Amino acid sequence: MKLLKLPDILFILLLLLGVSSIKAQTLIRGKVTNTKKEPLSDASIILKNTPTGINTDSAGGFSLPISVKGKQVLRISSVGYITKEIDINPQDSVLYVDIVLKEEGKMLGEVVVSAGSFEATDKAKGASLTPMDAVTVAGNGGDIANALRSLPGAQQIGEQEGLFVRGGTSAETKQFIDGALLPNPNYASVPGVPQPARVNPFLFKGILFSTGGYSAIYGDALSSALILESVDLPDKSSASLHIFPQDVGAGLQELDSKKKSSYGVDVHYGNLQFYNSLVPQKPRFFHGPEYLESDANFRIKTSKTGMLKFYTNYGYNNTGMRNPDIDSTNLLSSFQTKDQNIYANLSYRDYLSAHWKIDAVVAYNYDKNTITNKLENQQFQQVFIPAYPYNEKNSIINTESNFAQVRAVITRTFAHNQAIRFGAENFYTNTNYTYNDTTTTLTGNTTAAFAEGDVYLTKNIAAKIGVRAEHSSLLDKTVLAPRISVAYRFADGGQINAAYGVFYQQPDITYLVQNGTPGFAQATHYIINYQKKANNRLLRIEAYYKQYNSLVTTNPAVNDNGKGYARGVELFFRDKRTFKDLDYWITYTYLDTKRMYLDYPSEIHPDFSTPHTVWVVAKKFFPNINLSANMSYSLATGRPYYDMQTGINGKTFISDHGTTNMYNDMNLSFAYLFTMFKKWKEKDFSGIGFGMNNVFGTKQVFGYNYSYNGLNKVPVVPPATRSYYIGLFMTFGIDRRDDFINNNL
Amino acid sequence: MKKTIIILSAVLLTGVILHAQGDTQKLQQDVAKLDNATSVNDYQQLAAGFARIAESEKTQWLPYYYAAFCNAKTGWLNEDDPDNIEGYANKAEEQIKKALSLLDTATQKKELSEVYCVVSMVNRARVFMNPATYGRQYGPPASMYIQLAKKANANNPRALYLDGWEKFSTPKMWGGDKNKAKELLLAAQQTLAGNISAGIEPHWGKKEVDDLLKQLK
Repeated sequence: MKLLKLPDILFILLLLLGVSSIKAQTLIRGKVTNTKKEPLSDASIILKNTPTGINTDSAGGFSLPISVKGKQVLRISSVGYITKEIDINPQDSVLYVDIVLKEEGKMLGEVVVSAGSFEATDKAKGASLTPMDAVTVAGNGGDIANALRSLPGAQQIGEQEGLFVRGGTSAETKQFIDGALLPNPNYASVPGVPQPARVNPFLFKGILFSTGGYSAIYGDALSSALILESVDLPDKSSASLHIFPQDVGAGLQELDSKKKSSYGVDVHYGNLQFYNSLVPQKPRFFHGPEYLESDANFRIKTSKTGMLKFYTNYGYNNTGMRNPDIDSTNLLSSFQTKDQNIYANLSYRDYLSAHWKIDAVVAYNYDKNTITNKLENQQFQQVFIPAYPYNEKNSIINTESNFAQVRAVITRTFAHNQAIRFGAENFYTNTNYTYNDTTTTLTGNTTAAFAEGDVYLTKNIAAKIGVRAEHSSLLDKTVLAPRISVAYRFADGGQINAAYGVFYQQPDITYLVQNGTPGFAQATHYIINYQKKANNRLLRIEAYYKQYNSLVTTNPAVNDNGKGYARGVELFFRDKRTFKDLDYWITYTYLDTKRMYLDYPSEIHPDFSTPHTVWVVAKKFFPNINLSANMSYSLATGRPYYDMQTGINGKTFISDHGTTNMYNDMNLSFAYLFTMFKKWKEKDFSGIGFGMNNVFGTKQVFGYNYSYNGLNKVPVVPPATRSYYIGLFMTFGIDRRDDFINNNL
Repeated sequence: MKKTIIILSAVLLTGVILHAQGDTQKLQQDVAKLDNATSVNDYQQLAAGFARIAESEKTQWLPYYYAAFCNAKTGWLNEDDPDNIEGYANKAEEQIKKALSLLDTATQKKELSEVYCVVSMVNRARVFMNPATYGRQYGPPASMYIQLAKKANANNPRALYLDGWEKFSTPKMWGGDKNKAKELLLAAQQTLAGNISAGIEPHWGKKEVDDLLKQLK
């Protein structure tokens, strides 16, 4: 064996050195924590592009021996955190590194400011509300606003449609579709008989019910905003029909083969004559109630992010009824309303570039309403008595109104969901109000400009800061409304929200046509809330204080010197976990409110408010028998009622008052689901729906009406103690049975 | 010099082999651990381990497959905590897509079938976020991928298990069928029993199938 030559020896030495340098280990030690300095266990530490790596222990610590010298990259990752790479240059035998990982956006998401609002979206996870959850509350009769009465903040007002929120009237809650005002969400009012909604509640993929402190991009609502976002393209073409004794209808949705556009039409007709012959009603209906509704829509995907949507509906209702006249036992009071309403909404949204977005909408509404009041004898012949109060009991009131709105909102988005939003809108109203033969015409424009910023100070602190300026040509006044809300999220996912805002609303048209010049009514909201969501449960507690100023008063002449306050605490708890297949929520609303407005002689508890309201809503599906069951139960303390009389000085005073008995209402609804034509290419998804409202038949009194002299006092009660429905619904192409389960009269 | 080169090559080669063995061993170890994993914590620890192996073995489909499986499984285990699913589903989706991209879909039918099973599980995990809303979107792909998995390998016991799970968990009116579920699960059980070689090839499922069959009794 030949001796190794020197170069060989050197070479081998070098090689050995190299090998030994591989063997020479550096120990990398350290700790991985999150931004709150909590240790992260099971985080993975890898020397990049090598198999060398280790997981952290339960204290977040690790020690990783590595056998490579020189510059290296250490990669640290953990589910829910942003993966971090750090450069290391190990020279010593031990290298200490402390690593802080930031929470990943996708896991918890940016904190969303949510003071004052309930949001139901089709993206809701766990115990958050989806639009379906919100609108399938038993007994809501297919009216979103009714369904939302089961959420905290709303009062149980059984004699009238609409949302009475936190001491506000239903006129102080406005509904918006894709940014545009929906001026007449329900059919024309009938005294004592709540009217159904015009718009199908299943049209929406997002429902935001704000009970206060809402965004500066909406206005002209003193108490509450119901912000609705309509669906985009349907998943599939479908057809549907439903047959109930109260209502029949059919519809179709057609999606083009490229899934770029769709159109749809729906028609339904309801006449309660037949139903009322089976279930006697207290008012004697001589016409209807009769409803005809048709709607049409088209939706076009104009680009990858662009969407153009058109929705229109036409509604007609005609209801005539007779009640005993309150001032005379042998006379009848006849009331008839005929109403036609057309609504159209064209909206467009798209990204103009990566960071600029536009949301634009134009909307138009036409409404023609005729109310005929008659005083009649027992033979239904009209009688005229020229003395008070009978001389005011024969009247014809015509209201013809046009409404148009144009609106554009531009959004500039920044990193971390931050954004600046600004825009402007104009509302045009033209109303011809004819009382008997006297016509008053009012034409006005309200112009508003607004700006709002979504600011994320850290991942867990967010704020929404906005301001809105409004000018009304009718009032000839300009107002400025600041709004701010903030949110802070705790490490456990719990969240505190707070909001402050000033809100203005123009007085109702009926007060503007009278003499006197009221200004904007004003409300200031202060809200604080805590909510926590985990493990399929959601808890929310909210407290608020509201101050009202410049409310309309009519005592004795129209003015705006009304004022008041509202304060309360509300609780919402939803649990989808404890009982298998049972989803329930419990709501408690405490409200203390007083206001002086209209003919109130001083600040009193308004007759549409009560201190305590409790709701229990439960839904269960029985898969073995294909039956879904929904239950809602509400309990509320009595409402105050007053008899206002006018004194000799022309001012009103309270001559009698009291509180109604407790209100309680149990509603049940069921749907049995099946398929009739299994062999069909587009098989049907069918169901039989049936339900009953006020199951226990409790006597519900909403208030009292008084005769002019205060001697006759008549309770305001529902037209019938209980109400029922049963019917069949079918859909083809797509399973939309859920839509029908509660969407009926 | 010749000798030097031989020595050098030997040393280097050993290094390479050791390196490769290190990964294979680690994979083997972790796959063995997977057989006994039950909790979210177990699966997350393993998910991190598999992800680490995948990081250095970028051409191997198995580490990505296992990492994705562990994350998807975590999503399933969090069914009662729906706010805590999406992150795992996203991660699993990313990893299973990597695994899929490393397969030759024309020839590696058996592997493809395994990957499709995990894709189905990821979609199903998303349904758990809120069945009422996400079900419409992710339910159909979850079923579709089970069928694709069965098409690629009709005897894949994991595809049979997932199919059985779906038939078991779906209400009758939407196509659920307890008898059919039992049939599928028994077939899965049989296939799993006849295939005990516990290498690094996917072989999970026994525990899941047994648990479900117990509920069917």
